[in-house]
Amino acid sequence: MSRDHIIFIVFLFIFATINIYLFGSGNLSADWTGFGTFIAAGITLSLYSFLYKDNPLFKFAENLYVGVAAAYTLNQIWYTVLLADVVNPLSELEENLSNLWLIVPTLLGLFMLTQLSSAKFSWLSRIAFAFVVGLGAGLAIPRTIAANVLAQLEPTMQPIAATWVGLDLFIILVGVVTVLVYFFYSVEHTGPVGVASKIGIWFLMISFGASFGYTIMARLSLLIGRVGFLLEDWLVLPLPLF
Amino acid sequence: MKEFLLNIDRRIIFIFVALGVIIPALTSFNLPINPTPNVQSIYDTIEEVGKENGTVLISFDYGPGSMPEVQPMALSVLRHCFKRNVKVVGMCLWPQGVGLAQQAFDTTSKELDAEYGSDYVFLGFKTGFQSVVVSMGHDFHGTFPQDLPGNNTTELPVTKNIKGLADFDYVLCLAAGNTPDGIWIPFGQERYKFKFGLGCTAVMAPDQFPYLQSGQMNGMMGGLAGAAEYETLVQASGTATEGMRPQSVVHLIIIFFIILGNVMYFLYGRPKGGTQ
Amino acid sequence: MLFLRRTLPLIIAFAVGLIGILVFYIPHSGAQSLEYELTKWDRIVAAFALALGIYSLMRLHWGRVRRQQAGWAYSFLVFVGFTVMFIFAIYNDGHGPFNPQVADSGPFVWMFNNVQVPADATMFSILAFFIASAAYRTFRARTPEAAILLVSAIIVMIGRVPIGGLISDSIPELSQWLMAVPNLAAKRGILLGVSLGIVATSLRIIFGIERSYLGGGEE
Repeated sequence: MSRDHIIFIVFLFIFATINIYLFGSGNLSADWTGFGTFIAAGITLSLYSFLYKDNPLFKFAENLYVGVAAAYTLNQIWYTVLLADVVNPLSELEENLSNLWLIVPTLLGLFMLTQLSSAKFSWLSRIAFAFVVGLGAGLAIPRTIAANVLAQLEPTMQPIAATWVGLDLFIILVGVVTVLVYFFYSVEHTGPVGVASKIGIWFLMISFGASFGYTIMARLSLLIGRVGFLLEDWLVLPLPLF
Repeated sequence: MKEFLLNIDRRIIFIFVALGVIIPALTSFNLPINPTPNVQSIYDTIEEVGKENGTVLISFDYGPGSMPEVQPMALSVLRHCFKRNVKVVGMCLWPQGVGLAQQAFDTTSKELDAEYGSDYVFLGFKTGFQSVVVSMGHDFHGTFPQDLPGNNTTELPVTKNIKGLADFDYVLCLAAGNTPDGIWIPFGQERYKFKFGLGCTAVMAPDQFPYLQSGQMNGMMGGLAGAAEYETLVQASGTATEGMRPQSVVHLIIIFFIILGNVMYFLYGRPKGGTQ
Repeated sequence: MLFLRRTLPLIIAFAVGLIGILVFYIPHSGAQSLEYELTKWDRIVAAFALALGIYSLMRLHWGRVRRQQAGWAYSFLVFVGFTVMFIFAIYNDGHGPFNPQVADSGPFVWMFNNVQVPADATMFSILAFFIASAAYRTFRARTPEAAILLVSAIIVMIGRVPIGGLISDSIPELSQWLMAVPNLAAKRGILLGVSLGIVATSLRIIFGIERSYLGGGEE
């Protein structure tokens, strides 16, 4: 028996013992709620076993999750979109004839599903994709210009006063311009352009550093959440202990 | 020893991180949490909306993968709204948000006796991201003819007078993806000029600062720290406030390892190989 | 046939794209109704697109099971999870698939809370360990630029948690300033660049220069 097998058996033994104690002592209720916490803890620990190495327990939980999540999404599509916005209105045509228009997007949607069929019909999906992609592009152009270009340029170019706020505005202006210069590859980055691009890199480095710090923070918060679940909900520890 | 410090096995770092989370979670020591202006601004806006007996739209655009960060924000904001008699309309641009939003509504409405239909309404999920926001701007009842339990939105007290996005006194997006800067601001706020606030994961937070300065967003809660600040403001300590202890300790541990790595690097040069 | 397969999609993309732009600038109620109707259609087509994505995922795993590729049993597990959840979705806590969704009780909600939530949340939290290890291994101040990045990250990491305020009041202030001034400037520079890129790509789609969405093949 390999070392990994022994670790696996010991892990299962400890997990089972703890749960027998938790159910036996009444810390976990002997109903669907308690059973749910037991399952959730099992899945959490199975996934953390990846920290030791990739193993069947991790893959088991991972693949089970993929299937469940796919069906969850399908459920949301059915009840709140297809049933509420297509099936129900089309079944009430007598009351509201204008709902007949819904046949057009429904057909387009069905066309989309031909994507994975034989080559004879799959071209129909192009019509649906053309509609979605074309409309997306059309809606995006004016709004992107208004919200992400013009509305962003305006606060960049404000009058600068000799105050701390004015200094910050000046730094923002310098930062935005030099970062844009850095990304402008049509001109060789030498002389004044080179200096500007170098300053642009410094701004980018501060921003990447900030993003990295925030990313570490985010991942740790998720870990803290899971550890909190294991300690409080599963092991039912009265935190804080000390 | 030199070789060891130059190339510490990742599992040793894993153990430090795990202990850095578990030990502070088990112990109690108080850390002062001072709300930043960005979080305070969301709180103040909800206070104002409460005075006018107004309505807030909350879009739950996140899933369980970011639940520990964003769910405490959802709970705190809902508690705040229900305490101040702010009417709440919930919706999701992400399918996974439905279950989490439902949990948040169930928990807070029971705590504060908020009534479905007259204090809050949950609309559920719609596909189409930008198209949902654009059509909500034109016709709210047309986009969401029914709420999640199947009631007509034209008849529910909270939603019956909402014609479009412009009728909301505040729109708050709780997000783990690109829905605030990619959808809500360009496709909604830009045209209807509603007040817009954001609660998001820490990963997204640095990217949102341009929108705060431009006024397109009036406040932001970023990550668990942002959630803890909101919990402090509503005086309801929760998982985010508790989480600040381990968060602080592990940050110090990681910074210690980064400094150690750099000191060893400058003293002895590049390590030879090793695993990540 | 070539017209239907290639030219027609390009005409549709051009037409709806142009309408999408124009209605933004036309406040007339007719134009606004057209925009509403088109976005309504788009929402419905998007539902089918999402369903297509799920079908495609399941087909991939079905292929593995059918060919009994290495690890096919795990793909089979995907079906187990999917089937159980699907049955609960149809059951809808006793109300069946043609009534509104019951979102606050029943086996479907139980599965979400006790399988999907812990799995999804844990999966992402595993990265905490790897990011800590990677920070130690790769975060080296080899150049002045790398040093700026490192110092910025450390200030933000201390300044954003309460312990920073305990060490000194100026750490959170410095962290906030870094975020709201230099970080903002760099992010705005990137945002402007990306936005212009989006506009350019969208124009290429509308004018039929960008055709990758049509998929492979010239037919």
